[in-house]
Amino acid sequence: MQALKRVRGARGKARKSLGRLMSYILLIVVTTLISVPLIWLVITSLKVDTEYLSYPITFLPAVPQWRNYLEVFAPQYHFLRHVGLTAFLALTFATLTVLTSSLFGFAFSRFSDVKACNRLFALVVGLIIIPSIVTVIPQFIIFSRLHLTGTYWPWILWGLAGSPFHIFLFRQFFLSFPRELEDAAEVDGCTPFGIFWRMFLPNAKPVVATSFILNFVWVWGDWFTPLIYLRNDNTTVAVIINTAYKTPTGQFLTTLTLAAVVVYILPMVLTFFLGQQHILKGVVTSGLAGR
Amino acid sequence: MRAATACLGTEAGRKVKITSRARRRRRAFYTFVTPWLVGFILLTTLPLIAGLLTSLTNYDGLNLFNVDFVGMRNYASVLKDPNARHGVNRTLMWSLLNLPLWMICSLLLAILVNRKVKGIGVFRTLLYIPSVIPGVALVWTWKIILEQNFGLLNGFLSLFRPGTGIGWLTKYALGGVTAIAVWNGLGAGMIIFLAGLQGIPDELVEAARIDGANNFQVFWNVTLPMMTPVLFYQLVLGLIGAFQQFVIPLLVTTTAQQGIPVRGAYLYMIHVYQQIFATGRFGYGMALLWLLIIVIVLLTGVVFATQRYWVYTEIGEV
Repeated sequence: MQALKRVRGARGKARKSLGRLMSYILLIVVTTLISVPLIWLVITSLKVDTEYLSYPITFLPAVPQWRNYLEVFAPQYHFLRHVGLTAFLALTFATLTVLTSSLFGFAFSRFSDVKACNRLFALVVGLIIIPSIVTVIPQFIIFSRLHLTGTYWPWILWGLAGSPFHIFLFRQFFLSFPRELEDAAEVDGCTPFGIFWRMFLPNAKPVVATSFILNFVWVWGDWFTPLIYLRNDNTTVAVIINTAYKTPTGQFLTTLTLAAVVVYILPMVLTFFLGQQHILKGVVTSGLAGR
Repeated sequence: MRAATACLGTEAGRKVKITSRARRRRRAFYTFVTPWLVGFILLTTLPLIAGLLTSLTNYDGLNLFNVDFVGMRNYASVLKDPNARHGVNRTLMWSLLNLPLWMICSLLLAILVNRKVKGIGVFRTLLYIPSVIPGVALVWTWKIILEQNFGLLNGFLSLFRPGTGIGWLTKYALGGVTAIAVWNGLGAGMIIFLAGLQGIPDELVEAARIDGANNFQVFWNVTLPMMTPVLFYQLVLGLIGAFQQFVIPLLVTTTAQQGIPVRGAYLYMIHVYQQIFATGRFGYGMALLWLLIIVIVLLTGVVFATQRYWVYTEIGEV
């Protein structure tokens, strides 16, 4: 009886570890398959253009062209300049959006005794749901009539107005704060803004991080808005890498562009590695990455 | 007597205090949300109305001072516009290809990573990375795979059938664009489905197992019904997103150095973009856009109406 049990146990264990092995094989195969495009991107970025333009294709570069990565920064392409401008724009926009959205989120979560509070919040939720294109193009027409295209003002105004999704994010988080905390602060003579600034915001670090990363990454990755709003000399790096790497005669330098693409996405991938849990929480809440 | 008046005094005092506190709180609330309200009026309401009005005119970006009110004429021309019709056709095809493929693949991926083995976090992270890649980088990454002569895919296929030259970005552009979008959306879809899967109580699965259900039966009778709310949520968001897609096809075509977007991937929104930014027909473009929005709202309504036939809700849940 005992022996039988042991045999059965051993068999169960063997079956379990076999199952685990199968799991790993499946996971590795699927992950590799899905990573192929990125691996191919890096490989191709190390080729010379003629290698990329050979038929039939060559899978590996004869000599890895690490100098492509130096060439990306060559002065005639203005890559670093636009990286700087983009970082500045993203930083400004993300900081403003986090500050305003958290303030609005605070107002919508703690003032439900004020009559209009819930009704106004319903508007915020409505804004998350309606398709953004409804306002994107007319907004562009208005901004261009006001001669604000070609400047960073639209981003500042968008930042000041807060983003519906981020207002929602902050409100949900602030709802969980105990009421007593607020009352105690009020008794001690703290103003409503003081309560927000000294108690709520410092205690909302995870959401601040989520919101900041998502907003920063949105500006960094956005191609369409800077394309229609900004000039060639002050646009973001997304627009630049798409068209800047050409020979003087206008021929695309594909492998150089790819090296620039790698440099361009590297900070995003690194940010994701470091801020994973924050970003994924935002994704689960919104259902859309970085809106 | 004295005590009574004193009592009355404090009662009245408290009332004054309460109302003044309410007033103070109201004032604080409005002070806080005023910037939002201003932004809402100037950046949402105003553009909405401006867009609607523009769609009733022949505004072309230059004739601001002699714009004509043309009534519903722009809307009427949409019906006679063969390119708009082609765009509708392509957008429907695109949604039919992209949505189910994306949802099935990300659900399968979520099931794959929903197991408790060592190092699963690493796999989840790696599988999410494609969703971090933004538009421009995405299109360049895939261009060198789907390119007809020098792309990896045709190069790989040529190993088995030499000389394979399928036009993934030309003749079958919609297929190519679908591959790009699905790959890009997999990670985000996976994470949301994973959150849904982890919300299924273990007791349910165990009870089914004790009743003798095999893996497939557990999936079909327990997992899938429990996942319908998440599927529904993804379907609604995916549908709204698919109808608005234009960045990927637009980028594919511009990096391919073609002036006009490829016919096969000429989505409705590409047509809108062409009308507004290439030819400057703002009035007509806004009419196209408003029709699209009406269709999106109606379709979302239809999806919501089907909800009670297939989406599982807990009894007693509101």
